[in-house]
Amino acid sequence: MRKFWSWGAIIIGALYFLLPLIGTLEFSLRMRRGEYSLDAYRSVLADPNFRATFGYSVGMALATIVLGVLIVVPTAYWVRLRLPRLRPVIEFITLLPLVIPAIVVVFGYIRLYNTSSILPLTGTASGTNLLLLCGYATLALPYMYRAVDTGLSTLDVRTLTEAAQSLGAGWVRIIGNLILPNVLGAVMSGAFLSFAIVIGEFTMAALLNRPAFGPYMQLLGANRAYEPAALAVIAFAATWGCMGLMQLISRIAGVRKTAK
Amino acid sequence: MSFLVLDHLQKSFGTTKVVHDFNLHIEKGEFISFLGPSGCGKTTVLRMVAGFESPSEGRIVIDGQDVTGLRPNQRQIGMVFQAYALFPNLTVAENVGFGLKVAGVPRSERSGRVTEMLELIGLPDLGQRYPWQLSGGQQQRVALARALAPRPRVLLLDEPLSALDAKIRVSLRNQIREIQRQLGITTIFVTHDQEEALSISDRIVVMHRGVADQTGTPRQIYNQPATDFVAGFVGTLNRFESEVLDAASGRVRVAGTEFSLNRPLQSGKVTLAARPEGLTLADHGIAAEVVGAEFLGSVQRVRARVDGSEIVLDRFNAPSVALPEAGEIIHISPEGSNWLVLATDA
Repeated sequence: MRKFWSWGAIIIGALYFLLPLIGTLEFSLRMRRGEYSLDAYRSVLADPNFRATFGYSVGMALATIVLGVLIVVPTAYWVRLRLPRLRPVIEFITLLPLVIPAIVVVFGYIRLYNTSSILPLTGTASGTNLLLLCGYATLALPYMYRAVDTGLSTLDVRTLTEAAQSLGAGWVRIIGNLILPNVLGAVMSGAFLSFAIVIGEFTMAALLNRPAFGPYMQLLGANRAYEPAALAVIAFAATWGCMGLMQLISRIAGVRKTAK
Repeated sequence: MSFLVLDHLQKSFGTTKVVHDFNLHIEKGEFISFLGPSGCGKTTVLRMVAGFESPSEGRIVIDGQDVTGLRPNQRQIGMVFQAYALFPNLTVAENVGFGLKVAGVPRSERSGRVTEMLELIGLPDLGQRYPWQLSGGQQQRVALARALAPRPRVLLLDEPLSALDAKIRVSLRNQIREIQRQLGITTIFVTHDQEEALSISDRIVVMHRGVADQTGTPRQIYNQPATDFVAGFVGTLNRFESEVLDAASGRVRVAGTEFSLNRPLQSGKVTLAARPEGLTLADHGIAAEVVGAEFLGSVQRVRARVDGSEIVLDRFNAPSVALPEAGEIIHISPEGSNWLVLATDA
């Protein structure tokens, strides 16, 4: 009887997640009347705006991951090493992006960095890109920090650091050659989440008026019928594909590490 | 001037002082052990030498150079930790070569030195393994090789054997001592295990509550303990409350038996002490009631009661020497036993 209920829960959960996906997939194939076809996909892939915005967002996602790693790994490391009592505080700060809506953040940015401010970042495309990148890194912070912090908890950070110091190593080498490689798996899982967030992000990109994938999806959704469904499926596939790729890379790196 | 000088070192954490005025001069090539119970400050002194803690007062001088203000990575000191602390993402060879790589030693020279170190620790074929593929004893040997590879001026060993099982502990401590002699490297070894300290040190510093109670060779520490604490901490010690009858000639009475120590004592009461192997049995002397006896192969260990307090005495086994029975009365020879007179500070 217990088994029945647990299977029931699993099936209901799976349906809850899968039905909308299946529905979207099914709908995306019905552009041609009366039969299934890939017309909607053809139409989307042929659109140069699709390629431009998707490429932009992938680039931004990768940059976000790099920035996130550069901020989070040294911070989490330092907190564990020297400021263990501040850990709850830092954890709270990293959770703030979940509580503060993106729209608040982006309005704050616009107020602080508008063209009549001391630092007019919104005045140029590259400046706005930088602003958007920082916003994305903020959004990814909770996931990145937790992942890396969990990774660090499996290491004896303090003793490893002291061992490296007694061998003459400085901070850059300790973090780059010892800490980062040992938390690579954790960094990867943080990176997957960051990637997924950035690819679908709408609010920040739209309000900063950058040609990202999120606003493009919205635009298409407002004007077409079948293409948005195809786009959603493509976005899903691409995101999962990228995640799989990263997983594969880190696993290959892991295998090389363990099989030698 | 000595090779390594610890000059009036003090360390406080907040308001608690963990090291009080610690002074020590170590000669080049000497093997020094810091021995004491946990919390006695021995590890703190070691960490100050390594540079992980900075002293509140005092100086540390290595080979004439004041290193008190130097960072750990500038001190050229090798360190081995209780938890091995090998870098899990690097192979054994990369671990051993890490310090050389940091120092910018070219690859060819590095690999030669790594091979040499792996041979020194007796693991020449394990260079391509990862730390998790090794046993605890092997990992600690690799950690030793890693610490020694960059030719440090001083080697610090922070309870390196505590995480290992008994058999490996003995063989590794002998190996450590052998390698240390071979390289002639000045070494500080921190331990709470008196047997370890006694067996491998040139000199031992017994620490207690942040103070060096006694510094001396293992034989001095064991045979002539300077304080009550040292006497009690190193080795087993039997205590006998005694009454001084004649202070000038050292005549005392223990459990109703009078005898002379032939040295002046203070008058009143004094605590005499003797090691288990320092007590000799005879036909007459201090009467003791046997509580139990253990046969340990080469040694017979007899537990007995004198005047209400329990004592332990060891004697060599021989086919002709029977194990005493519980309840039997035996006699400790006052003249044939080695007596220590404990300072009456406690």
